[in-house]
Amino acid sequence: MSGEGRHHFQEELKRLEESALGGIDLVLEQLDRVLEALEHTDIELAQIVILDDDRLDGRYLEVHQGILTLLARQAPVAGDLRLVAALLHLIKHVERMGDQCVTIAKLIPLSGYEPPIRREILERILRMGRAARSEVVQARAAFGARDVALAEDLVRQDREINLLNREIFQLAIEAGEDPDTREWAMHMTMVARALERVGDNAVDIGEVTAFVVSGLFREFSDSSAPTLPT
Amino acid sequence: MTTLPAVSARRRFTDRFMRSLTLVLTLVAIVPLVLIIYYLIKEGLGAWSVDFFTTDPTGRFLGNPGGIKSAILGTIVMVALASVIAIPIGIGVALYLVEFGKQGPFAKVVRYFVDVMTGVPSVVFGLFIYIVLVVSQIGGTFAAWKGSVALALLMLPIVVRSSEVVLNLVPDSLREGALALGAPRWRVIFRVVIPSALAGLVTGSLLAVARAAGETAPLLFTAAFVLGTQFDLSQRMNSLPLQIFNDVGQAQDRLVQRAWGAALTLVVLVLILSLVARLVQRRSRLA
Amino acid sequence: MNPEDVTSPPSAPGGAAPDPVTPKAETRRLEVGGARDEAAPIVQGHAVTLRGLNAYYGDTHAVRDVDLDYAANRVTAMIGPSGCGKSTLVRCINRMHEEIPGARATGEVNLDDLDLYSDGVDVVSVRRAVGMVFQKPNPFPTMSIYDNVAAGIRLSGTRGVNIKERVETSLQGAGLWEEVKDRLGQPGIGLSGGQQQRLCIARTIAVEPEVILMDEPASALDPISTLKIEELILELKRRYTIVLVTHNMQQAARVADTTAFMLNGELVEHASTEKIFSNPDDERTEQYVTGKFG
Repeated sequence: MSGEGRHHFQEELKRLEESALGGIDLVLEQLDRVLEALEHTDIELAQIVILDDDRLDGRYLEVHQGILTLLARQAPVAGDLRLVAALLHLIKHVERMGDQCVTIAKLIPLSGYEPPIRREILERILRMGRAARSEVVQARAAFGARDVALAEDLVRQDREINLLNREIFQLAIEAGEDPDTREWAMHMTMVARALERVGDNAVDIGEVTAFVVSGLFREFSDSSAPTLPT
Repeated sequence: MTTLPAVSARRRFTDRFMRSLTLVLTLVAIVPLVLIIYYLIKEGLGAWSVDFFTTDPTGRFLGNPGGIKSAILGTIVMVALASVIAIPIGIGVALYLVEFGKQGPFAKVVRYFVDVMTGVPSVVFGLFIYIVLVVSQIGGTFAAWKGSVALALLMLPIVVRSSEVVLNLVPDSLREGALALGAPRWRVIFRVVIPSALAGLVTGSLLAVARAAGETAPLLFTAAFVLGTQFDLSQRMNSLPLQIFNDVGQAQDRLVQRAWGAALTLVVLVLILSLVARLVQRRSRLA
Repeated sequence: MNPEDVTSPPSAPGGAAPDPVTPKAETRRLEVGGARDEAAPIVQGHAVTLRGLNAYYGDTHAVRDVDLDYAANRVTAMIGPSGCGKSTLVRCINRMHEEIPGARATGEVNLDDLDLYSDGVDVVSVRRAVGMVFQKPNPFPTMSIYDNVAAGIRLSGTRGVNIKERVETSLQGAGLWEEVKDRLGQPGIGLSGGQQQRLCIARTIAVEPEVILMDEPASALDPISTLKIEELILELKRRYTIVLVTHNMQQAARVADTTAFMLNGELVEHASTEKIFSNPDDERTEQYVTGKFG
């Protein structure tokens, strides 16, 4: 194992990480688009989001192949091994988040070009969206900097999303008699659920960050719930 | 298309010149050797006969001069005794140097002395034994065993040197392997080191024997000269080198020819020993 | 994929399928640590513990105050850069270190309860109990395959042994019997490199040691022979306690239960192999195994 070989390996590893984290940037793009599409019921924009998911899938395959190559050729150990395993988790979560965006995008046209909107529900959806976005940004920062404290903080933000999700659900139940409105409200609960999933994936990325640093895999807990045994 | 510079004419000349020069020098060295062999065979073969090998020299100037039986037997007996003394001791010293002394101060001194001994002229060994054993009249005056001791002194440094080289060639990994199995030191030496070096030890000893068989000076004042065959070691004993020495100076041609015959016999004896040594070496390498 | 494929049992990591007759010695634990999952030991092994071991070559302090435990029936790998003292340390265990002129060692080397360095302990008996396999295979060149394996018994002066039986058992134990059983009279050096090394292993186990030290046993061999030796080591640990010095970290990872990392004569870290190669405690260990130095 010459110093030369390891230098190239370290370069490859860095590039792989950048590629994986770049996937998060793609997710943020999709998220921004889909939130805008929600706000203005922009069906064309929603279509673009659906089509653009191919880029994320491509990124997933690229990173996945990179990981296999690294494992086959470089036999990484210790910190390097944990990083490679973490990138595998990370890119999976990235791909899931992309799928959540597609799910949301597919729901937008179902209620037509001029859906009967309930302002209080839509406003909460957009708040959820912004919170989810900020979680994703924070997760990226935490992983990139290997900042465990920042990663654990994601749980706090996620609580807010869960709260909004419950409120939206409640509001949807009380949506009224009009079947069109009720249909739209139902779709919105599904959107909320997808956004909540995005948040969960961001928290998972936080857990992966803690794994890279400490070598231990544990669930970040909500402070209201008792700590799970490690 | 890559081109390389051609060989210069000057270099070609130098090559050829060096080739020819070394060839000439080789021939110059070989010619005397060839001549010796030629003369040995030319002059000595005529002396060989059944009588030559089966009768003792008679010491008569006129009449039958006899053969060289006592010389041949004497050489064999005295050299055998010398070998029995020199070879075990020589190998023992070599074992000490390689297995125990190694680079220690005492070992270095021993090695120095052995080196010096290889350079001592053989006549000095003869003289030494003459003074210490013959003049002092220990066990009589001239005696065959004293001749053997002188020969043994001559053989000793040769055996030590060649044995040390061969024992050093035995790789340390073998010693390590044997020690690691839980063998005491002496077993490592006798069951592993010596068997591995055996061919070389035999070769070295045979060459020492061949050398001793041909030495005149150590025997001149120790075993001296006698005509008849006798096996009493405490008395004088004949030997090939001494027989040659005596016969060469005589006026009669028959005696001089007998000397040549004895010389040829001696050379053949040494040749046989060397061939055996070579065969032993080759067999061990093929194994 | 055929439905039949699903029913056949997957092979366990490490190669050998578990012995159906012998029950598993312990169940898999979730935490990192502990021995690899495999069949139980056949012969109860012996533990070696080092306490305050120091070794010197003249004035050079090659091994510094090492405390280390080698668990019974386990393979412990010693890794570290060249000159870190791992070979020296291992040679102290069978007291071969003191054969080098000017070399000495202090401290305790305990085989179970007996300190091998205490007064009255015969060095030669130590080496019968603690066998050693070297980096370059060193079969005795003047001996046949049979005599090579028997050499250990004969050289160590062990009496009352049926040599023919012991030779066969040892060759089987070294995984060489089938290949040489019809040519036991042929010279030992006529075998290939990998076979020669297995012959040396057979020779070592013929003496029935309690511990086997291996100083880079496969580094002079081709990859296939190396793997055969590694498989052999995994089998051998069911009867012996094994210490493996290696500069090949993948080998340590494949074969060893625990791994000890040495640097400049000191023991830096000793932990389960999984831990050393996935999450070591000491930064120096991390640097070494990831190849950032050494």
